[in-house]
Amino acid sequence: MSLRSIEFHVLLALAGEERHGYAILQEVTQLTDGEIELEPGTLYRALHRMLKDGWIAESSRRPAADLDDERRKYYRLTPLGRRVASAEADRLLRLVAIARSHRLLSRA
Amino acid sequence: MPDFEKSDRRFAWALVWLYPPSFRRDVGLGLVDAMEDRMRARREGGASSIGARLPAAVDAFTNIPGEWIDAFQRRNVRATPDTKDRSMADKLMQDVRYALRLWRRRPGFALVAILTLAIGVGANTAMFSIVNAVLLRPLPYSNADRLISVWARTSQFPRGLLSYNEYQEIRKQNGSLDSIGLWLGQSVNLTGVNEPQRLIGVFASGTFFEALGLRAERGRLYTEEESGPGAVKQVVVITHSLWRQRFNEDPSAIGSTMVLNGLPLTVIGVLQPPFDANEVPGDGYFINGDLFMPLALWPVPHGIANAGPFALSIARVKSGADVVTAAADLDVIGKRLLAADPKVQQGRTLFVEAAHDTVVGTSKPALLLLLASVGVVLLIACVNVSHLLLARAMDRQKEIALRAALGASRSAVARQLIVEAALMAAAAAALGFGLGRWALRGLTVLQPPSVPIPTNVPLDWTVLLFTGGVAIAVATLCALAPALKTARPDISRVLAAGARRASGTGRRTRDVLMVVEMAMSVALVAVSALLIQSLLAVQNVPIGFDKTNVFTLQFRLPQTKYTKPEDIALFFRNAIEKVRAIPGVESAALVRAVPFSGNGGNVGYVLEGTTPADPNSPPQARVHFITPDYFKTLRIPLLKGRDFTDRDDLQTPLVAIVNETFAKRGFSGGDAIGKRFTTPQTQGPVTIIGVVGDTKHYTATEPAVPQIYVAHYQVPLIFSSLVARTNLPPLTITDQVRRAIWSVDKDQPVWSIYSLETAVDRTQGQSKFLALLLGIFAAVALLLAAVGIYGVTSYGVAQRTHEIGIRIALGASSDRVLGDVVGRGVRLMLIAVAIGVAGAIGIGRLAAAVLFGVTPSDPTALAGAAAVLAFVALSATYLPARRAARVDPVVALAEE
Repeated sequence: MSLRSIEFHVLLALAGEERHGYAILQEVTQLTDGEIELEPGTLYRALHRMLKDGWIAESSRRPAADLDDERRKYYRLTPLGRRVASAEADRLLRLVAIARSHRLLSRA
Repeated sequence: MPDFEKSDRRFAWALVWLYPPSFRRDVGLGLVDAMEDRMRARREGGASSIGARLPAAVDAFTNIPGEWIDAFQRRNVRATPDTKDRSMADKLMQDVRYALRLWRRRPGFALVAILTLAIGVGANTAMFSIVNAVLLRPLPYSNADRLISVWARTSQFPRGLLSYNEYQEIRKQNGSLDSIGLWLGQSVNLTGVNEPQRLIGVFASGTFFEALGLRAERGRLYTEEESGPGAVKQVVVITHSLWRQRFNEDPSAIGSTMVLNGLPLTVIGVLQPPFDANEVPGDGYFINGDLFMPLALWPVPHGIANAGPFALSIARVKSGADVVTAAADLDVIGKRLLAADPKVQQGRTLFVEAAHDTVVGTSKPALLLLLASVGVVLLIACVNVSHLLLARAMDRQKEIALRAALGASRSAVARQLIVEAALMAAAAAALGFGLGRWALRGLTVLQPPSVPIPTNVPLDWTVLLFTGGVAIAVATLCALAPALKTARPDISRVLAAGARRASGTGRRTRDVLMVVEMAMSVALVAVSALLIQSLLAVQNVPIGFDKTNVFTLQFRLPQTKYTKPEDIALFFRNAIEKVRAIPGVESAALVRAVPFSGNGGNVGYVLEGTTPADPNSPPQARVHFITPDYFKTLRIPLLKGRDFTDRDDLQTPLVAIVNETFAKRGFSGGDAIGKRFTTPQTQGPVTIIGVVGDTKHYTATEPAVPQIYVAHYQVPLIFSSLVARTNLPPLTITDQVRRAIWSVDKDQPVWSIYSLETAVDRTQGQSKFLALLLGIFAAVALLLAAVGIYGVTSYGVAQRTHEIGIRIALGASSDRVLGDVVGRGVRLMLIAVAIGVAGAIGIGRLAAAVLFGVTPSDPTALAGAAAVLAFVALSATYLPARRAARVDPVVALAEE
């Protein structure tokens, strides 16, 4: 099973902690060293899809009060989302191993 | 918050609003926040407004289509029962159930609303069925869009007939036509059977079948060679319906002989439909015939090649070519013909139009006007229902606000309204469709002349689609105002208003609805007033003769049997004598073409001692061939000189009687007696012996033209009509007249038996029909508007009972309250009248083609319409206003 890259990035962004939409955007940018700058529309399309598929869910918990932006919805990974993310990570790892065996990687 | 941030948020909302509802509900708010954050970040990074917003817009528009597709696909997947959110379908079903429950609780409300809409939808379905059948459906021939009519145009006749020579030249020279056929319809006498019968014959060239794409169902059709002068064959092709009527569909009909106009013709084929009267709109619709005979069999003294312009044409353009290319092609041929033949009338050109235009040309404005009018009636019905829904939604406002405050979706109520409106529209469409088809049958029975309503209006997909479209439009229009009004209730205000209903809520929406409905009523009433004025103008035009108590019939002597002019004259004299002897007949005469029968002819004339500007096109006069006593029978006043007598016959010099216009135009002082003129059709000069009053001949609205009356006995023609003044109801003598004519010639069929009054009234049929229908529509519109105004005002008063109670308690007089409510109605009415009058002038322009003696901006009609509406609106406002004035403050305030 292959996964769209944007969805994988969202899963990764939510793997550490629960975030609201804009925070996910910023996290993705940070994780990729600024390489991927998602636009809100694209992100929310993915979020909507992932909500429907049950990979993520709206969080009922709130972060610490001083960080809370109360009108925002926070998202968390569901167990299913976590499994999807790790399956994708495994798949990428296998691909990387193949790439490495063909000496395609610049760094070991 | 800086201003641009607020507007950024609005901008984000606007973009998000374009997403599917399910998306908006799930993550819409989050997306707005994220977009806003991103825009702020961009602004902080130094971006301009455009720089901040453009990427957001681009981003939204790249994702919206996909989201809609996803939403659509998701909807098709049934939601599992344990899903937290109920699926859209469930919600809709709940809305449907809720609407039905409301209807059961207040059946009157639902019934009135659905019936109102159904009448509107029905009227639209009926009118559209006619428009579809007449204007939209192609003619019933294969590739009918390639059929064109070719006319010879002169300054006097925009659509003149073609001569055989012109036809031949067009055939030879054109590069744009597949084929062109020549034809003319004329009644023929069928004899050699039990009772002589008149059939509708078509004399047609062989190419005629080719142009129309007609085929033989049995036997064969005749060829071009067999139909032309020289090699003409004595054959006839019959239609399927004639085959059924006369031959009982017996195959042996092929090869049998029919005696037509005294000629024995061999039946060689049966035409395949569409030559079936029920397939195409009624009488006079394009080509109508029972049988088809070679063109060269058309009875004319020196053969069709020398007959001058005499026939109609039908042509098929090559595939790929169109009317425009054909027009250009034929225009060149026309100019060439003009240059080649000095005898051709100056300015004669060939003119081309789509055959469909030839057929529907005159009825188009009338039909479109009717369709526009029923559209207006439906709009008014929608406005009324819209108001009903709005009022009810307003009543539920507090409940709605509470639900919204408790977290219910803001759109839930709007959705419920839309579902209810859609249900109403669907019910109204089903009911209206039935009503429309039923009304159509009523209209067909009326069979108004000049509005060709087919006897068999087809029910096809176009009509069904139209009604479906109308239903959707109705649902949208009805739900629009209420849904917009309730989608975003101002929660705090409604709740703050406490138990009281918020006064003035939705007032502006109601005012707009009221103005719209009043304006449309004014417009419709004004247009129907214009049509009624026009009808009265038509009926008041003097026609120049007395139409009452005149019996008419037509017959045509077969030329083969009556070869000598003396024989024809003898038949006429004998027939007239017999008819005069019938009890109840005061006087009788023959005329070649009865006024208002549609028949008639013109002749060029040259006054003695003058030379016309163009010898090839002398001035034209309408010519009538009559026997003595014609003027007496029709009561046309003889102004000067004398009537014809029986002694004006083949042995005496030619004499004529002219009308007043002829005398005035031709001679100073109108002194025409004893003057002489010549015509191309007569040998030697004709002496004027009398002057009579002007008469109308085709329609009451035609302008006065010079007319010449010629003595029938001096120029006997085979085609004639009988007119007889009776002192009984005219048609009571029908049988005696028939027997009188058969006693002279037992083989002579007669037809077109009617009273002259019927013929005259029939030409006013279109005006009457239009005035009648529009009068009905306007009355319905007024009634609906009155109900609407009353409802809106009553509702407004009921809503303000509390406020009015306070005012009265504080000392306002009841007159003041009354004046207040009525004044408000009057202000709205004035706005509506201004808009409506402008609209009426607009619709009137559309109707200009069917108006006579009145302009679209006629002040009487417009002022009358405004007055009628003012009366209706004031009455409808006054009743609730009086109720407001009688509000008892104690009761009103105790209601808290």
